[in-house]
Amino acid sequence: MTCVHVITHDNRALYEEAIQQFYRLRHQIFVEERGWGGLRRPDGLDVDDYDNEHAIYLLAIDADRVVGGQRLYPTLLPHMISEVFPHLVQSGIPQAADIFEWTRYFVVKERRTGRTDCRLLAAMQEFCLEKGLSEVTAVVEMWWLPRWQQTGFKVRPLGLPQIIEGQPCIAAAIEISAVSLEHVRKLAGLRGASLVRQVTPSPSVQRVPHAAA
Amino acid sequence: MSRPSFDHATEAFDFIGKLENLPSSQEIMEESAKSFALFGFENFIITGLPNPKERFEQVVLLKKWPMGWFEIYSKEDYVRVDPVIRLCRNTVQPFEWSEAPFDRDREPRAAEVMDRATDFRMKDGFCLPIHGISGYEACFSMSGVNLDLSSRTKPALHLMAMYAFERTRQLLNPLPCRGADLLTPREREALMWAAAGKSAADTGDILGITERTVTAHIASACQKLDATNKTQAVARAMQYRLIQI
Repeated sequence: MTCVHVITHDNRALYEEAIQQFYRLRHQIFVEERGWGGLRRPDGLDVDDYDNEHAIYLLAIDADRVVGGQRLYPTLLPHMISEVFPHLVQSGIPQAADIFEWTRYFVVKERRTGRTDCRLLAAMQEFCLEKGLSEVTAVVEMWWLPRWQQTGFKVRPLGLPQIIEGQPCIAAAIEISAVSLEHVRKLAGLRGASLVRQVTPSPSVQRVPHAAA
Repeated sequence: MSRPSFDHATEAFDFIGKLENLPSSQEIMEESAKSFALFGFENFIITGLPNPKERFEQVVLLKKWPMGWFEIYSKEDYVRVDPVIRLCRNTVQPFEWSEAPFDRDREPRAAEVMDRATDFRMKDGFCLPIHGISGYEACFSMSGVNLDLSSRTKPALHLMAMYAFERTRQLLNPLPCRGADLLTPREREALMWAAAGKSAADTGDILGITERTVTAHIASACQKLDATNKTQAVARAMQYRLIQI
């Protein structure tokens, strides 16, 4: 059964193997399949400046195998839209404590006909709702736009599309809302919360005596 | 012919802003006609791409097409041979009609539809393919004689078309599967018994066929309904009113 795991700096130690798979899959998909040549690395891992302690990963994992993933990053810090794609934004890059940037979204090839896509989209909305976010921003190839819209996402364009690596791409802000979450869940027949949060046991908790004398 | 100059980016964002408040497809049609005319477009259509069992008229969402052309296009079933439609199914990228390939000698019907379109001032065109979720395929195709179509205007047109499509889709809510004849009688029966809580073996006994055949009917229904499993197939079949319990 596929679940979406929330991985942050705090519990990352539990997921080293999954994160390595995620980096490798990103290279396979973004560099080898989609042809983003600028990201190519000899070790076959896609790791960039934003894979740091501020990054939050939501990974779809089925029996220890990563089948899809995505990354969220605070927009108050320098992020991809502010550093790499500012020209895609016509008036003012959205930057606020309750706005995160959404990047490196993918589903592995053999899962693209199933529900993994909706599961990941629902997980993103669910996580952001719980975190009290209002929007996520993203740069995306234009053909994604109607797909997002059909899953119930409200998408606000931040500028006109421009060609990046041969594809028309757009910067957009996506509203975080319970309505969108409900819509995508219904579409895929997903019931209720689907996020998994594993907590690293802290040493101090382990030291606390379990029985009082 | 010169047009009054306008800022295509501003026009695009204004148009997108207006769409949200348009309450009917008629008004989307009128607003789109006005905005796309600024780029020289006289005609456009927003349509799903029909599967082999569907007719073109069933899948059209919105159109501003010349009088007469829609009748000819439907009657001749040009949707099966139109090179623009063919390319649309095979690419996610926007393209000009002139970029849709066909062989004039070996595909006379493809040549015919392109030639006859020009009789209706549909000389050049721009097509935006839409590959949605659950296999829903559609396009926004626009045309005219004197187009302002360049690398400068295409991004604005692309964005406007995607939002016009989405607003129309919201209002008309086309289903990924249409038509009561989508499922065979046996597939419907198998799903109805599943909806009534019967296993494939039970259903086989009831219908006097083997369990394996029942499972095959269900699998085929799942595929047609784009359902992941029997439960989802039953839910979809009920949603689309293909079965009743």
